[in-house]
Amino acid sequence: MRSHPDPAPEVPAKTLWDLAQDERCRIESFNSSLDEAYRVRLMELGFHPGEIVTCMYTPKLGAPRLYRVHNTVYSLDDDVAGMILISEAA
Amino acid sequence: MHEALLIGTPNSGKSLLFNQLTGLNQKVANFPGITVDISSGPVMARPNVRLVDYPGIYSLHSISEEERVAIRAFRKALLQENLDAVLCILDSTRLEKGLHFALQVFRECQKNNKRMLLVANMKDVLLRNDMQLDIKGLSRSLGVEVLLLSAKSGEGIPELTAQLGNGINQSDQEGQLDFSGMSDFELRNLAHELAHKYGPSGDLLIRSQARLDAFFLNTWSGGLSFFVIMYLLFQSIFTWAAPVMDAVESSIRFIAGLVLPLLGATILHDFVKDALFEGIGAFLVFVPQIFVLTLVVGILEDSGYLARAAVICHKPLRFFGLTGKSFIPMLSGVACAIPGIYAARMVESPRKRWLTYMAIPLMPCSARLPVYTLLIAAFIPANQALGGLVGLQGLAMFLLYFFGVFVGLLVTALVSRTSPEHSHDMPFVLEMPPYRLPSWKPLLRNSWNRSKHFVTRAGTIICSVTIAVWFLGYFPNYGEDLGSSWLGTMGKLIEPLFAPLGLDWKYGVAVLSSFLAREVFVGTLGTLYGIEGAGEHISSLADKIQASGLSPASGVACLILFAVALQCVSTLTILYKETGSLRLPVQLFLGYGVLAYGIALIGYHLTALFV
Repeated sequence: MRSHPDPAPEVPAKTLWDLAQDERCRIESFNSSLDEAYRVRLMELGFHPGEIVTCMYTPKLGAPRLYRVHNTVYSLDDDVAGMILISEAA
Repeated sequence: MHEALLIGTPNSGKSLLFNQLTGLNQKVANFPGITVDISSGPVMARPNVRLVDYPGIYSLHSISEEERVAIRAFRKALLQENLDAVLCILDSTRLEKGLHFALQVFRECQKNNKRMLLVANMKDVLLRNDMQLDIKGLSRSLGVEVLLLSAKSGEGIPELTAQLGNGINQSDQEGQLDFSGMSDFELRNLAHELAHKYGPSGDLLIRSQARLDAFFLNTWSGGLSFFVIMYLLFQSIFTWAAPVMDAVESSIRFIAGLVLPLLGATILHDFVKDALFEGIGAFLVFVPQIFVLTLVVGILEDSGYLARAAVICHKPLRFFGLTGKSFIPMLSGVACAIPGIYAARMVESPRKRWLTYMAIPLMPCSARLPVYTLLIAAFIPANQALGGLVGLQGLAMFLLYFFGVFVGLLVTALVSRTSPEHSHDMPFVLEMPPYRLPSWKPLLRNSWNRSKHFVTRAGTIICSVTIAVWFLGYFPNYGEDLGSSWLGTMGKLIEPLFAPLGLDWKYGVAVLSSFLAREVFVGTLGTLYGIEGAGEHISSLADKIQASGLSPASGVACLILFAVALQCVSTLTILYKETGSLRLPVQLFLGYGVLAYGIALIGYHLTALFV
């Protein structure tokens, strides 16, 4: 009988939408299902891997949230913010 | 003549600079993507230079058809021999965003051997907040001339105009970085590096913006302020525009009073009176409404509030396939579909703009009000319920308004879920512009232009249809009897269509004539029932309609027809002009016609069962 070590439970990647108000994060990558043209546009706006993003405001009732990149603030809804994969900012 | 191109990202102050340089009337707004058309005009201080203003775009890699068109036009313009310079404007308080785009533009310019200037706008904001931009360092690193100015105060503009019309100097190219061989990745890194090295530091502006956002986007304070602002917007369309609309109406009546007696009792007299003064006058009355709405929406855009309103409305409207930006056009449509359709330009996603266009004609516009008032007076008893708190007629009016909005949202929800492009729509990424005081002069100019645009672009078609309807209603009996005119004959011909709804030929004629404007329905029925000035004597006409034996079920069917059908030539014309195609107006006219008839038929039979 072969024994297999239990695979480590897969931790779902954290997305920009998961970021709480006033929290900072580092952009890691994009969900592969995001259209290439939109990925390029997000990067042109400043949302590129390695960049630090701050969640400025999270309105209630699921409204789009406000994120700061450099000196610009953008509002992103869950469809887009959920496609941006992040890690904790150092 | 030399030519200079003005290009930049949205919210960089590009259109305001264009206004300052040319003195021409050009839209200036604090909302992404608002400059839709490409405008041009001679530079006031250098009349031998024509300045061309391109729409604000974020990148030379397009994600929409409109961007593709603008970028194609820009690349084509770079091939012109008389192109003197490309002015790339950016907001110096948010350097990195604008610089990345500027470097893309420089790469294209260098490939085409064109002169480029970097215009760093918002000098006034930098000074006010004690922020620094090292333009010498930036200029030295890029090898490109950088001019710091304020499009708002005009500071630095003479230095810019002095740079125009000098042709391409070989020394312009010397010392420049070689952008042409750089990849997008390299350009982005360079923008990042330069912005950090030479751009303003600190986040004073962001912090003050965040405080206001916390107020305007908060569930309670934001909700309340949204309600108050939208109430004021609605009031401005209905109430503030009313005195000017009355003045236009009185002026037309005054001129008619002077002109008509000179014409005697001739066909020309009848034509001028009915087709020109009454028919075309009815369409000119909307001009003040368009002016006021454009002005108020412009104030909201310029102040930065409109982007916040879009955030507030986005979630509920997304359920119906729309976007937060669809809210203002739809609200405007409650006053009149025409300014609403114009306002839909603010929706950048072509697909969502298309859906907004679909919803607007179903909003309960003010032209439907006289029709609703007449039919409610004729068929709904003036009873009170709940101790006088609720009047049945008022309730019926409320339900009709709600019905229009409901059908509009239902249609967009169904279309958005069933159309094939469902999964390929533009994502909701909206730049939050800083809050600032609006610039009044360009706003007033823009409102004037939009009103003029309405008269000149839609006027020809509306005039032609007005004259055609007058002609059909006047001949062959010279206006003696509308019932036996060609229009009356047409009404009788289509009577079988209305018969299943219990409506006779009179309603057919009234519906046909209401293509001019929905409220004409009341006047036509008044004529057919022998009541002069039916608009002012609605209760007499309602009595006549009751006495004619028309059933309440037919009244309900007629109300539904008017709530849903798109029988308004002005709306159809503006839809055609704005979309540049007959496709949408024809589809909506036929689709809403069939839908209106179907619901009216159901409403007729259901009412007949209970009443």
